[in-house]
Amino acid sequence: MYSTPYDYLPMAIMAAVAFGFVAVTMAATHLLGPKRKSEVKLDTFECGIESQQNARFPFSIKYFLIAILFVLFDVEVIFMYPWAVNFKEGGLEGFIEMLVFIGILLAGYLYIIKKGALKWE
Amino acid sequence: MNTLITVSLLGIAAMLSEVFRFKKFIQTVFIAAVTGATGLAVLDWGTSYSYFRFMVLFDDYALAFSILFLVLTLIWLLLSQEYFCNENTRADYFALISFSLAGAIILSSFSDLSMFFIGIEILSVSAYVLAGSNRSDIRSAEAALKYFLPGAFSTGFLLFGMALIYGATGSFNLSNISLWIIANHSNLPVMVNAGVVFLITGLLFKIAAMPFHNWAPDVYDGSPTPVTAYMSTIIKAASFAAFYRLFVSCFSIMADWWTPLLVIAAAITMIGGNITAVYQNNLKRMLAYSSIAHSGYLLLAVAAINQLSKPAMLFYLAAYSVASLGMFTLVNRMGNEQQLDKLKGFAHDNPFYAALITLLTLSMAGIPPLAGFFGKYYVFLSSIRSDLIWPVIVAVIASLIGVYYYFRIVYNMYSKPAASAHVVSLSGFDKSAILITALLTLLLGIAPALIADII
Repeated sequence: MYSTPYDYLPMAIMAAVAFGFVAVTMAATHLLGPKRKSEVKLDTFECGIESQQNARFPFSIKYFLIAILFVLFDVEVIFMYPWAVNFKEGGLEGFIEMLVFIGILLAGYLYIIKKGALKWE
Repeated sequence: MNTLITVSLLGIAAMLSEVFRFKKFIQTVFIAAVTGATGLAVLDWGTSYSYFRFMVLFDDYALAFSILFLVLTLIWLLLSQEYFCNENTRADYFALISFSLAGAIILSSFSDLSMFFIGIEILSVSAYVLAGSNRSDIRSAEAALKYFLPGAFSTGFLLFGMALIYGATGSFNLSNISLWIIANHSNLPVMVNAGVVFLITGLLFKIAAMPFHNWAPDVYDGSPTPVTAYMSTIIKAASFAAFYRLFVSCFSIMADWWTPLLVIAAAITMIGGNITAVYQNNLKRMLAYSSIAHSGYLLLAVAAINQLSKPAMLFYLAAYSVASLGMFTLVNRMGNEQQLDKLKGFAHDNPFYAALITLLTLSMAGIPPLAGFFGKYYVFLSSIRSDLIWPVIVAVIASLIGVYYYFRIVYNMYSKPAASAHVVSLSGFDKSAILITALLTLLLGIAPALIADII
């Protein structure tokens, strides 16, 4: 079996390439790119509505809650794709297991509705 | 398996009690379900079934630890009555406790690295939320954050370790990994060693052993006291159950290589934890450091990894957790400031319960003939069988340091009260909790074979 540090040489080369790529591109863009410095160019958003202030200010926690719940239920859908692809192989057992999974999700959904997590006012 | 299903369903039921308006009965449901789950585990005793294509294996080890967690939870309920008073949050807390119990049971029964990871996540994520459950207290929020960040960080170490082990052995299944390591024992790739080191690092974080313990005192101090009691007993026991199960079933063949790491960590933890505990004037913080020190003794049992260390760990965890629950009942009554001075005059008002708490303290210090002594005895015995002589000497010295600060608690209880001081008083539930823990401590001390001989 492989057990000497020498066998990790491919990893070292891979790491060197990864870091080297970053270093080379950064240096190249810095050296080759034209430099024009105007107020419009250095603005955060070059086009669209004129920016008002810094984006880092406190905002309502409700946005965060909605976003995190969206992510939660959105990610669960991913589990349905492999199930749908293998629906025939899964058979009745797979169907029941999916029902259990959806049931647990539904329990969570009922819970967040009851807790008022989706109420905006 | 039935135990695990019952506890998981209990968690969902607790969540739904909010929706279907049976919140009032949730405590009754909880007690009934936990008792029922304990009964199911007892009924399964002696069997060894594997479920879900070798994902979990419910052998005697898993069942013994499951029963330990469930019984501890029942005792824990006594001291946390007021924690569940608030109607708005009661269902949530019960759901979180049930889920973390399910995680603990998975951690005692996994036979696949993926289940190990799922178990540790279910256990810790519930614990992060519980640590911050006192929303009006900023220290509780601080505790939740300080628990979450190192916890998530250490999970990263665990995952990286698992990835390396998988990369080398090509399997997540514990017995396959073990077989592969036995087959390639003479010429192991460095990847396996690196993976083991990462796993050890992650687990040392989780059990709050000394080089990685810094999060523990603040988290234990800031969390609501019932949650602290839960963390330092059931969660600690579950982490150790997982630690030992993982290492005994995968890496016992290469024990010579990783034992020194654990022994050094154990020695630092025992000495460091006990010495820092001496300097604490706050009882809750003192118990936090004492909990760190106890992790050190338990690590010694993991490092010994022989026939004796399994019963030694189970017994030590049972003895330590029971005594801890009794001590935390007292801390819970001390309100927001848990200075040792506040205990003055306690023995004058409650002579019987002061005597019982003295008994629990002596058990934690390891004085015979109480449960704590036999816990230490079994751990030391198993270490000596594995020729770990110097760590046992360190452990004995550390225990002697421990006796000093445990006696400070007793000393303060029996001192005269300061004038116009508010003396701690106990409720009926507290009294029963202290009585039960003290009786169990005595029982285990008189008849240690009750637990030590079953696995």
